[in-house]
Amino acid sequence: MGNFDVMLVFDHWDRYMAGFINTIQISIIALIGSFILGAIIAIFRIAPLKPLNWFGTAYVEVIRNIPLLIVVFFFYLGLPSLGIELDGFVSGTLGLTVYTASFIAEAIRAGIQAIPTGQTEAARATGLSYLQTMTHIILPQAIKIVLPAIGNQFINLVKNSSILAVVAGMDLMYYADLINSDTFLPLTVYTFVALFYLVLTVPLSYAVLYMEKCFNIADN
Amino acid sequence: MIQFKKVNKYFGPFHVLKNIDLQIKEGEVVVIIGPSGSGKSTLLRCINRLETLSDGELVVNDVPLHDKKININQFRRDIGIVFQHFNLYPHKKVIDNIILAPMKVQHLKKEDAKKTAMYYLKRVGIEDKAYNFPSQLSGGQQQRVAIARGLVMNPKIMLFDEPTSALDPEMIGEVLDVIRSLAHNDGMTMVIVTHEMGFAREVADRIVFMDEGQILEVATSSEFFGSPREERARTFLSRLINH
Repeated sequence: MGNFDVMLVFDHWDRYMAGFINTIQISIIALIGSFILGAIIAIFRIAPLKPLNWFGTAYVEVIRNIPLLIVVFFFYLGLPSLGIELDGFVSGTLGLTVYTASFIAEAIRAGIQAIPTGQTEAARATGLSYLQTMTHIILPQAIKIVLPAIGNQFINLVKNSSILAVVAGMDLMYYADLINSDTFLPLTVYTFVALFYLVLTVPLSYAVLYMEKCFNIADN
Repeated sequence: MIQFKKVNKYFGPFHVLKNIDLQIKEGEVVVIIGPSGSGKSTLLRCINRLETLSDGELVVNDVPLHDKKININQFRRDIGIVFQHFNLYPHKKVIDNIILAPMKVQHLKKEDAKKTAMYYLKRVGIEDKAYNFPSQLSGGQQQRVAIARGLVMNPKIMLFDEPTSALDPEMIGEVLDVIRSLAHNDGMTMVIVTHEMGFAREVADRIVFMDEGQILEVATSSEFFGSPREERARTFLSRLINH
């Protein structure tokens, strides 16, 4: 077995785990951050205030239409020329958050706008405020529509976190590159890396499916 | 109680309401009829400001609706509306559809809100469906829930926007019966947009006939259906009766 060595994962277990744990941290931080940022941008896009609409639209259209690598490079290589130095981990996680937020904003906006206007009218007509209407009527219905799309974005986020390897972000992929340059066994090294990613993403996709099912039961 | 003065409304370049003058007194039942696209629903929806005026004055329950600074949520408590497509909240049970506004707007306790809700569900004849979801009800039942949801706030005015237009023919009767009983027994102020001419004739104190954004004729029910003054009202009625 000159090209494939199963024992390699045990020989380099510490480095695999260091990367794995960092990737989990990056994913969780970016997941929470991009959800909050995405929700804010989505509300900007539908709020009854033109300047907010413009800002939200500009954010989404610019960020989601440029490569993730460039967003990360902006934080890692661009900001230092403005006097702001960030390490690979921070700039990579920031870039990932900012990038994913644009997709999440779109998913949330589409979900909210898929709710018929009659729902808002009925609620507002009984004297509920805009905020009460959002929290009691619109968002509980929108979340069901939005959930699969957001779940897919979270899976993408975990996979996209591998871009941190490019900026020395200490993630799973970064450590895999290190192990590979020591062992010259790329097939083994990257197969195991793929397995580590699957350990994260497969449960995530089942969690999304499970949540969808729960909401469907609550519905009927 | 409701007073339109020279009200105009535009949707973009489209002039939907033209110089509307209309007064509705307390306890009156006014039915608005006219061809599709004549502005009936828009006129009705101005009364609780689901539509804003382009110009003119509209005073409802002593509140000037043309004034942007009024507390609209406070104002809307006293006006119930029933829509053509029911607009029940599909993720909430029938009872929760009804108690939401009493709890969130009037700040009633849940138990008290439920008691009132059950009273009105009994009133519209579907108290046994209180813990079902709207999707498990027929169209007629859903619309009766919507009426109960409007009544539970004990409004001074009820608005009905084509309440039977989305219903199967065999369910129209049960909804009209409920509205009829409100008109006869409760003496509630009501404004109704409908295409049910027999019902309009029976329930209305006055008929408002609209066409192309204008009010062409306002008359008592017997005057209007007996001998409409306007030529266009006559053609409208004859078309409905002879189809």
